[in-house]
Amino acid sequence: MNNLAKKLDQPTHGTYWKDLGRRFSRYKFMYVLILPAVLCALIFQYLPMGGLIMAFQDYDIIGGIGKSPFTGLANFKEILSMPKFLGAIKNTLVYSSVTIFLGTPFPIALAILFNELKQQKLKKIVQTVSYLPHFISWISVIGMFYAMFSINGTFNDIMAAIFGSGYERKNILCDPDSFLSIIFWSGQWKNIGWNSVVYLAAIAGIDPTMYEAAKVDGCNRLKQVFYITIPSIMPTIVICFIMGMSSLVNSNFEQVYGFQNVYTQEATEVINTLTYRQGILNGDYSMATAFGMMQGVVSFLLVVVSNAVVKKGTGMGIW
Amino acid sequence: MKKSLGEKVFDVFNVLLMVFLCVIMIYPYINQLAIALNDGTDTMMGGITIYPRKLTWVNFEAILTSKSIWKAAGVTAASAICSTVLILVTCVGAAYAMTKKQMPLRSFFIWFLMIPSYISAGIIPTFILYRYLHLLNSWWVYVLPGAFVFYNTIIIRTYLSSLPTALEEAAYIEGANEIQILYKIILPLCKPILATIALWSVVAAWNSWTPTLYYVNDSNLYTLQYVVMQLIKQSEAISKMTTEAMMTGTDMTHVKPTSEAIKSAAIICSTLPIILSYPFLQRYFVQGVTIGAVKD
Repeated sequence: MNNLAKKLDQPTHGTYWKDLGRRFSRYKFMYVLILPAVLCALIFQYLPMGGLIMAFQDYDIIGGIGKSPFTGLANFKEILSMPKFLGAIKNTLVYSSVTIFLGTPFPIALAILFNELKQQKLKKIVQTVSYLPHFISWISVIGMFYAMFSINGTFNDIMAAIFGSGYERKNILCDPDSFLSIIFWSGQWKNIGWNSVVYLAAIAGIDPTMYEAAKVDGCNRLKQVFYITIPSIMPTIVICFIMGMSSLVNSNFEQVYGFQNVYTQEATEVINTLTYRQGILNGDYSMATAFGMMQGVVSFLLVVVSNAVVKKGTGMGIW
Repeated sequence: MKKSLGEKVFDVFNVLLMVFLCVIMIYPYINQLAIALNDGTDTMMGGITIYPRKLTWVNFEAILTSKSIWKAAGVTAASAICSTVLILVTCVGAAYAMTKKQMPLRSFFIWFLMIPSYISAGIIPTFILYRYLHLLNSWWVYVLPGAFVFYNTIIIRTYLSSLPTALEEAAYIEGANEIQILYKIILPLCKPILATIALWSVVAAWNSWTPTLYYVNDSNLYTLQYVVMQLIKQSEAISKMTTEAMMTGTDMTHVKPTSEAIKSAAIICSTLPIILSYPFLQRYFVQGVTIGAVKD
């Protein structure tokens, strides 16, 4: 029995084809196990890619893709000439770059502060509390924000208490100029705790003897953070950053659509919300597909390029 | 080692900051609960903080006796259960196959499954495809398209490859086939990671409302958070109407002024299952991220 297993397990004898056949028969059940995943990816992720043809057509809803006339790059040219689309591109870039470049340090700082906290019980409580908003749906969070920032809500009460009777109450959620800060801070409120988990895990993996050695050398806690903690979690920071780069041309649809209202919608349209409105609500499938496709291609290129740049600079990357 | 003054100041500051963070994180829920328990007309006067001024249960009654809310809760619960089961089956199967280094075509499958997490067709081609597949206005649109999640598969695979291979080899030598090995040996060992994936999937399905927005018009198939979204958007519209009416002097008494309070009650009711169970299950929620981080 033992000999047989050994023989089956070690591809030493026989030709390449014989060995391949043996491996096929040993792992034949594996193909059954992986089949549902492959089918799912094929039908729901690869098949729609064929629909990208619509971006080069004047899509006819009755005729379908087969009978729609090709228009070349006309859709793309039109997108790049219309202020509506250009505005959405600009908004997307502004909101996302602020979220990525200004937002990345917050969860890292929180993870470091968690780590420096000596009161274990308090640490547990704060962690539990700060992860919670991540599990609440965006739309419910937005409902809470509306209550907080309404004319008679807590935010205006606090501002009135600080600035006295001269303060004019207003709902900042109805002000397009405040939209960027709303997107940024609501994103931080919801995700700062959860995003810190991955950094906290990286910090937990640092060899404690490094800190011991630093202490002996006379490093205080601030220096330990800058010379040990941050350099040690750099690989995690870099990977999170590269993964984040793909969202430079992406917005969180649930968040932006949820916060938009009659006062702000026009000025705060982003690529994702405009694609939805143009395509699904107005039925302009070709334009919306072209717009979405531009977004998808740029987002993929951003990951590839930022990965290459970071790899060249630091030797770290996701592939 | 004695603490320097700077360190002491920092420690105090850090504790204060954490307490402040807790307050900021918790306050909106408490505020929402207070509004939901307060008389709707009284809420419009403002000043509701963490307790109801005029206690009333009518807002909760309105939500809990609403047929559409219960129907939406049923649709959401059914899709949460079904999609979770499907995700577990497809992801565990794929992850287990991925651990077999000797399997022919293994790296082809891994690439095939990985590519879509970097490139996607976008919502319009997806929408058109669903029309051909008759998934528009169908409950299955909540379950089928999300049945495979690459990230979950990678986390399960990472967990599986941390298990000792000796057990599997022994069972194989004893004559067990790969399916038996998976069910009798591997699955019992990976209960913790399966719990994590199951919880993530349940929460994601419970919180989902964009598929309804994109693909569903039939009000019998609305998900719970979609109904909440409608209430929020409606109460916005009503408050705009009321403000305009105040300016023009139109009589707005026919508009129900309690929408704010009902909305809060809906938010509280729909998030309560998560808020109540989360503190006890937190360990499972978090461990998947830690495993993912180790892999990276």
